[in-house]
Amino acid sequence: MGNSIRRYGVWLGVALVGAICWGVLALSRGETVNAGWLLFAAIASYAIAYRFYARFIQKKVLETDDSRATPAERLNNGRDFEPMDRRVLFGHHFAAIAGAGPLVGPVLAAQMGFLPGTIWIIVGVILAGAVQDMTTLFFSMRRDGKSLGQMAREEIGPVGGAAALIAVLSIMVILLAVLALVVVNALAASPWGAFSLAMTLPIAVLMGVYLRFLRPGRVLEVSIIGIGLLILAIIGGGWISESSPYAEAWTFTPNQLTFALIVYGFVASVLPVWVLLAPRDYLSTFMKIGTIALLAVGIAITLPPMNMPRFTEFAFNGQGPVFAGSLFPFVFIIIACGALSGFHSLVASGTTPKLIQKESQVHPIGYGAMLVESFVAVMAMIAAVTLDPGVYFAMNANPALLGDTVQSASQAVNGFGFSVSPQTLQSTANAVGEDSIVGRTGGAPTLAVGISAIFAGVTGIFGAALQAFWYHFAIMFEALFILTTVDAGTRVGRFMIQDLIGNVWRPFARPSWLPGNIIASALIVAGWGYFLWAGVNDPLGGINQLFPLFGIANQLLAAVALTVGTTILIKMGKLRYAWVTGLPLAWDAAVTLTASWQKIFSTDPAIGFFAQRAAAQQSIQAGQLNDTMAALGAASIDDARQILVNTTVDGVLSIIFAVAIIIVIGDAARLWFGLIRGGKEPEMSEAPWQESHLDSEGNEIEREPVGAR
Amino acid sequence: MTNTVRSIWDYLKEISGENAYDRYLAVHTATHPGKPAMNRGEFYRARQDEKYANPGSRCP
Repeated sequence: MGNSIRRYGVWLGVALVGAICWGVLALSRGETVNAGWLLFAAIASYAIAYRFYARFIQKKVLETDDSRATPAERLNNGRDFEPMDRRVLFGHHFAAIAGAGPLVGPVLAAQMGFLPGTIWIIVGVILAGAVQDMTTLFFSMRRDGKSLGQMAREEIGPVGGAAALIAVLSIMVILLAVLALVVVNALAASPWGAFSLAMTLPIAVLMGVYLRFLRPGRVLEVSIIGIGLLILAIIGGGWISESSPYAEAWTFTPNQLTFALIVYGFVASVLPVWVLLAPRDYLSTFMKIGTIALLAVGIAITLPPMNMPRFTEFAFNGQGPVFAGSLFPFVFIIIACGALSGFHSLVASGTTPKLIQKESQVHPIGYGAMLVESFVAVMAMIAAVTLDPGVYFAMNANPALLGDTVQSASQAVNGFGFSVSPQTLQSTANAVGEDSIVGRTGGAPTLAVGISAIFAGVTGIFGAALQAFWYHFAIMFEALFILTTVDAGTRVGRFMIQDLIGNVWRPFARPSWLPGNIIASALIVAGWGYFLWAGVNDPLGGINQLFPLFGIANQLLAAVALTVGTTILIKMGKLRYAWVTGLPLAWDAAVTLTASWQKIFSTDPAIGFFAQRAAAQQSIQAGQLNDTMAALGAASIDDARQILVNTTVDGVLSIIFAVAIIIVIGDAARLWFGLIRGGKEPEMSEAPWQESHLDSEGNEIEREPVGAR
Repeated sequence: MTNTVRSIWDYLKEISGENAYDRYLAVHTATHPGKPAMNRGEFYRARQDEKYANPGSRCP
């Protein structure tokens, strides 16, 4: 009795802390709100959701059964199927789902103020994102680790399955292009950044040789060596940027970097994995987890004030200079990773379900790992909103509107309704060791300035702020794991294409067949390379055009996962709990379709692709730029031609995405009604029940436990 | 303190796959006594090739 009072007392306390923090965030009248309130509001909300909502899903909705053997136990082959300790599997699963996405989206969404994005990150993960990850993991585990595409085909039908495949391939291409674009924007005209990132190549090869031939399997050892060399590379970059002949040699234009990335992506996809991909994987995983932990500690120590207002006017008028469109639906599109990310459903139906030891562990691994990723997104938001808003807009607005100098940028920022002096812009650039920070779009540089300020605040306590070092540390950390994603994503895409063509012509399906390898790699690199090139040369700023497309594609995949989940719940006879995945699905569909509608049909040329296209066409026909084009930032007729091509491609893609969503949901809805009316017997492809002989620590159970079924 | 450091180190070893070979060796000698086992280098090369032969997807 006393025990349960104490237990609920603790949760009441957590709820109270959360409520107070949210109250201060929403209502405080002070000049600025401290980031600490946001940190604790997030933690309290996660704790309550994890303890109550996730457990409700586990016990009532999914009814996990620990006496049932998981595929890891039944099919244990010591390779892809193998029971893995839940803490270790949590680490693996988290490393696979947390990438650069949660670091970029919140930074861009900060233009609307800190509150809309934060609320979506926290509420979205609790009710949608973590639910998607957990249910997909569970359903895939019950089906011996089938992939999302296979489940869509088997549970919904061939039409839904085909639409899912298109979604996966196209999201991959857009995703790689957008991420590569972030790297290009971060490294262009920055000899320090370019040098230190280039050094990761020899470091990775060295690590690869070490791991393969010198000391096989000594992963920790080689990772420590690698991280040490990485730090040296960052320090070396500082020397390079200070000595003029070398600085010049390491200064690249965006187009040179684009070319380098395309060549790199192709070579990395064709080469054996041990040369680049595997060692880079270790390096970026350790860097990622280490930096995220450091950032959490840094924010907790420095407790910076948030300088961005709760809401800016761009939340309502849709005229934001970072990306156009109003709060609904675009905040929910721009912030995908960290709140609801369809991509996770691929991980949750990939390796993780084949390694899970006990059914109930979908709670910590599926739901828990996603909460941690959401926390990463909250920290990225904090790092962005602690910047001076004027500096934020001078870095992130469309470069065409900002001009090339600190003076013109300062003026443009005044035009947005914020103020920043040219001196502040120059001194911020000097502090981080760059020539200029104006128009450095893509989110990564902004985040790096924010992170470097926080870290410099911590190291400043010990006497040396080192902000320039920390800035390039952050840039390197983001670029490193974006490149790892580019490597790995290109390879995944290559395998998909080989598999696809292999259906028609057999030899192509063999991954080791060199011509097939080269052709498929070239195809996938050409796909994202085209979008990267178009984004880099987009007169209207590539990020603000491409990022919404990436968000829509990602949410499309989430719609597929949630549709599969809802279908399976109905088939399991759990109609009364179908809202658990059904409501997030309805929300996701509303957001994605509204965004697609606006991208396709909006007459506002800042938002609608086809309105932009029409303005470009008019300009070309008239032989001179019309006012609309000029207002968007186009400078010449050549710009208009470029815009005509880009908007055509982007607009057609938007249409394809929207149609795919409608097909998947429509196809499933037809099935749902059939099932609810009871006309058809539900066909489930769940693997049959078998008794488990393992306990939750993975040890063999000696005797029949009392009360097993 | 030493205990905490020790357990973090053990966790890292586990998560990075550094002790996978020891586990393989234990299972192998228990299940196939008398059969020769792979040495450390062979084991990790085979494992690495296998892991990336069928690349799982991962998130941005």
